[in-house]
Amino acid sequence: MTDNRWTSGDAELTNALRAIYAAPMEESYWDALESRILAHIARGDDTTSWWSELAEMARPGLAAAAALILAASLALVHSRQLEVSSAYAAVISAAPSTIEPASRAASVGDGDAAIHVLISR
Amino acid sequence: MLATSAPTSPYTVPSPSEAQTTERAIVIAAQRGSDDAFSALVRIHQRRAYAIVRAIVLSHEDAEDAVQEGFLHAHRALDRFRPDQPFGAWLYRIMANAALDLVRRRKVRVAEELPETIPMPFRDPAESGELRERLQEALTRLTDRQRAVIVMHDVEGFTHGEIGRTLGIPEGTARSDLHHARAALRRLLQNLRSTS
Repeated sequence: MTDNRWTSGDAELTNALRAIYAAPMEESYWDALESRILAHIARGDDTTSWWSELAEMARPGLAAAAALILAASLALVHSRQLEVSSAYAAVISAAPSTIEPASRAASVGDGDAAIHVLISR
Repeated sequence: MLATSAPTSPYTVPSPSEAQTTERAIVIAAQRGSDDAFSALVRIHQRRAYAIVRAIVLSHEDAEDAVQEGFLHAHRALDRFRPDQPFGAWLYRIMANAALDLVRRRKVRVAEELPETIPMPFRDPAESGELRERLQEALTRLTDRQRAVIVMHDVEGFTHGEIGRTLGIPEGTARSDLHHARAALRRLLQNLRSTS
């Protein structure tokens, strides 16, 4: 790609770019910057310690909440299963009583037949 | 707590040949909590870090702020760094992000302020001449990434791959950004150059 390269006339532009972006040369400048960086870190760590501690506390808190939700869900599922099985058991145990009216009806029917025999006499 | 005066550190800036192994040892010491070791890392990397952030932000003052923020982020994230990786690449990525974040915040602030209160870019007393002034103006018309790519490549001598890794973009994108940045600068400076 020919357009991706500066032409010889662009050397002037490169030099101008270098002049604009030139980093300070003095060693004292870098010593001072280093001190400012370290001071900034010391300050920054102090001022943000409360929320970083909070953030650290938040992580186990979230884990505990997730575990609680999981336990509650399991308990809910378990209680539903118990409810269903007890309802099923109730249906099974109640089955003879549903037959009872039929037998009673049968007995009532027998009674009616007896009465009928007595009347017919 | 970090000591804030630089010259007391027992670590010295290593020669290029021993830099890699020495730096790994310094990084591990810093991860174990040695403030002197972290100070040494600052001393080793602050110039390159400054060059990277300076390529992204518009002023010398913003570059200093971004370098400080970048090192603060790096200090906080140091325990997550794996020492078998190149520390410089990791740090410069953090620096680039700090600079891009600062540029974004500045843009929001500038949009909220009156035009009179916009801070002027840093100007070296030696800076003069129409080309330089027009170039500075033209650079502000590039996108943040285009400006970063052209400065990192042409001023600092980064390769396309290094630029891509630092800015978190594919190498091809860095190459394409460089092409577009140069084309835009040529276009913006065309009048000036044709009259000079």
